[in-house]
Amino acid sequence: MASFDLVVPETAEEAIAALQTLAPGEAAPIAGGTNLLFDLEEGRIAPRRIISLRRLPWRTLDWNGGALTIGSTLPLRSLEDDPEVRRRHPGLYEAVRNVGGVALRHRATLGGNLVRSSPASDLTPMLLALDAEVDLVGPQGDRRVPLDRFLQSSRRTDLRPGELVRSVRLPEARPSAFLLQRVRPANDISQVVVAVAFASSERSWRIAVGGVPPRPTLLPEAAASLGSGRPDPAAVRRAGASAASHSALAADRRASEEYRRRVVGHLVERAVAMVSGGEGFPA
Amino acid sequence: MTAAVRPDAGLKLAGAAVFGTDLDVPGMLWAAFVPAPVAHGRIRSLDLRAARALPGVTVIGPDDLAGLVGPGERDSERTLFAEGEIVYRNQPLAVVAAPSLSEARAAVAAVKVEVDPLPIVSDLEQVFPEWPGSDADASPLIAAHVRARHGNVDVEFRKADRVVSETYRTASVHQVALEPHACVAEIRGDIWFVRTTTQSPFGVREDASSLLGWPESSIVVEGTWVGGGFGGKGACFLEPYALLLARATGRPVRLALTYSEEFRLGRTTLPAVVRMETAVTAGQIRARRVRLLLDVGTSLPGRDFATGYSIGFLLGPYRTEAFEVEGYAVRTHKPPFGPHRAPFAPQCAFVVESHLDHVARELNLDPEEFRARHHWREGDTTPLGQKVGPFGLASAFERARSTAREWRAEAPPGHGVGIGCGFWSTSTGAGGEVRLRLGPQRLVVLQGEREIGSGSVLAGLTAVAARTSGLPPERISIEYGNTAEAPFDSGVYGSRTLGALGRAIEEAVTALRRTLAQRLGARGQAELSIERDEIYAEAGERRAALVVLLTPEEDAAGGILAEGRHFAPPRTIDEKRVLSGSFYPYTDFTGAAHVAEVSVDPATGAVRVERYAAFQDAGTVVDRGSAQAQVEGGVAMGLGTALTEEAIWSDEGRLVNDGLLDYRIPTLDEIPPIAVEFIEGFAGAGPFGAKGLGEPPIVPVPATVAIATRAACGAHVTELPLSAERVARALKLL
Repeated sequence: MASFDLVVPETAEEAIAALQTLAPGEAAPIAGGTNLLFDLEEGRIAPRRIISLRRLPWRTLDWNGGALTIGSTLPLRSLEDDPEVRRRHPGLYEAVRNVGGVALRHRATLGGNLVRSSPASDLTPMLLALDAEVDLVGPQGDRRVPLDRFLQSSRRTDLRPGELVRSVRLPEARPSAFLLQRVRPANDISQVVVAVAFASSERSWRIAVGGVPPRPTLLPEAAASLGSGRPDPAAVRRAGASAASHSALAADRRASEEYRRRVVGHLVERAVAMVSGGEGFPA
Repeated sequence: MTAAVRPDAGLKLAGAAVFGTDLDVPGMLWAAFVPAPVAHGRIRSLDLRAARALPGVTVIGPDDLAGLVGPGERDSERTLFAEGEIVYRNQPLAVVAAPSLSEARAAVAAVKVEVDPLPIVSDLEQVFPEWPGSDADASPLIAAHVRARHGNVDVEFRKADRVVSETYRTASVHQVALEPHACVAEIRGDIWFVRTTTQSPFGVREDASSLLGWPESSIVVEGTWVGGGFGGKGACFLEPYALLLARATGRPVRLALTYSEEFRLGRTTLPAVVRMETAVTAGQIRARRVRLLLDVGTSLPGRDFATGYSIGFLLGPYRTEAFEVEGYAVRTHKPPFGPHRAPFAPQCAFVVESHLDHVARELNLDPEEFRARHHWREGDTTPLGQKVGPFGLASAFERARSTAREWRAEAPPGHGVGIGCGFWSTSTGAGGEVRLRLGPQRLVVLQGEREIGSGSVLAGLTAVAARTSGLPPERISIEYGNTAEAPFDSGVYGSRTLGALGRAIEEAVTALRRTLAQRLGARGQAELSIERDEIYAEAGERRAALVVLLTPEEDAAGGILAEGRHFAPPRTIDEKRVLSGSFYPYTDFTGAAHVAEVSVDPATGAVRVERYAAFQDAGTVVDRGSAQAQVEGGVAMGLGTALTEEAIWSDEGRLVNDGLLDYRIPTLDEIPPIAVEFIEGFAGAGPFGAKGLGEPPIVPVPATVAIATRAACGAHVTELPLSAERVARALKLL
């Protein structure tokens, strides 16, 4: 590992300034470091300066009516331990608690997970199904981007030079469910991730899948086949079949294409049943 | 889980135990291998000049050996570097040393190598889509060909009510010791001195001598604390390279593997294909045909031990009137095959148990009854003609069946309960020698094995010394000495430590107690006891403090000395049954029957082990805490082989999953509660009739999980590991 300067700014402005004075790639922000340290160790990146975000006031969790704003440097474990999150966002709670192991979740942050934009992220499918928005700060000011537009492909996002993720906003609490399939249940990269939510306000479904390149995605056609309320069994099966035919599902060292299709279809059916059969589902 | 306090626990908890990877000597250099870029190829050129030109860098390549090796005879087949031809990916081409690891890596990157690639043999079944023909023996791809036969096999197959044939496949698994290989070498005067994390300091000395051409007397190997071995640290590996660099530079040199290198260079169990055919008449197994294709990587022809040894585990532990067995060790462009806790026996047990379970189902027989009826019992003859000694398998199986009945009665729908069996033998190996010193306050045992984490050296030998001497365990010290200090022993492998060194301690303590009785003017053996902090000896009517029984020389030496040696008991097989190759007898017979309750997700095929019980034939349990921990550890490790562990080799001979992210050992989440029960009374070759327990507990695990999985959902999976995808295929979900 090459040597670097460590900068620990106190404010967002200082952080942005520290990031900006160097060319992209020469400065790297660090939050939990669970991805960055690997990249450093394996020589994938070689920044001259590392900017620690640990003193920024972003380890927050704010409710505003139904909307939830999660600070980007809040450790995932704090999100998981919050009883309101668990009650009002059951799917998100399940997603978070399945990331890595406990020790890792004490360090890893939501902001880091989004910026890494891993196709195998256990978190982004659920956030997509919750219509998450990303709040960014940068030299040109603040902006808010829907997560669906923020994520591009592996290691590629809409983040511009000098920008940092400040927080993630979930506009409303939704009945939701999260399921995954892995070779090993704990501490593994998922073969398939399925997130389902029902947007009560507009009476429509969201289905998102992850675990396959180029990035986790919403499946609007599969969601549309569920209608605008509690679906009948045939509609659930149609949604599963539609999800299973998602073109991005492919083979890699973790699973064959046919196994992924089989499991995605099944998990979508199971997750929809969990949401529509759950207590919070509107009549 | 067990809560036993090990003698070394405090030291390790305090971080005071120095493991191989901890070694850091002032002024030492850091070494790294120059790895072969392909799995098979001819080296056109190896240009080391740019690396050599870097400041502080020393490089040793094939052409530099002449000036460094000794005058002794060197092993001509095993070379330190690829010379001319590369035979596996990452094979060392050269080795560098530099003041820091990053400088060593920069030197490796500066080496220019040009290679003409040659065709790669990676997959067994690509080489032999059909069984090897009669011309196969001449093939350079065959490292060993073993055959044995007994009885009227063809007649039994012709007459049989039913013949069941199946093919099984098993995956390559890695030992995954927490600590990777590491050593530091330095030249001390005329002595080539190396500290290393190893299961066998004397084995390293012997191999280093034959690779370097320097006599064993000029090489001293000192074992560090070992962060897990599981067979992977049984042989000489990094030490000769570090020694050569130390000689060339005049500085201490550290050579340690990263975890990825540990995967890529590790010597471990490779894939296999097994064909099983069983002829049954009137509910009895009349004859079996077993054929094995074992990938042995670049193991040298004629030096394959695994094929003949493991094929015995495909025949037992079941009575068979007639059999025919044939095994081929097939060379592929992978690192050489190496031992992994009970090498290949868990895979064999998986095949045997799954197959016989299947045979019984095909014949509408109760599978457990069918297996029970055929289990070896003491006095039976093995297929290879060895008399079965005291063997607790049938008793273990009976206990397992009773547990399985209870669990079945309680199991919810979607759960299945299954029993798997396995057997193993202590491999006593060469050596087994100790020196004892009994002083006024302590009994000290000097020996040449390092504790590798299993407890066999520190907890096991302490228990043996305590039991044979009558002294409390806190009065006993097991001391380690390097190869210049301690008596010879071949190492911690083959479940042999307790048996070999334990018997040596027994002999030495007995000698001590006889001597003391004589000095007290009595016959027989003196009894030892503690009074007011002093050791006392008592024989006949007389009793005295040890301190007054010592001669002046003994007083000066710190105590009365004794030596003990263990010799492996003679065992034979019926060589008339062997047609070619080498088969091996067993020292003793250690059986085990395990029970698993699993749940299977009917939609995804995911298997979860809900609870587990192990019934382990142990002869006599010497140290209950360590024994139980060995069984729990063996089960946990076996669950990996059963469910998730699979080293995947690409067609280019590249290990695809060379890290712990994609090579998946179980986490605590996947390890169910494990109940352990010992079956005692069937004596083994160790002290007090003990049997070695390092390896036996892993043997039945994949079989047990497979049979429970079939019971849960009907999936008959003939391939390891039982990944969810394989179960889904067996369930015809795909």
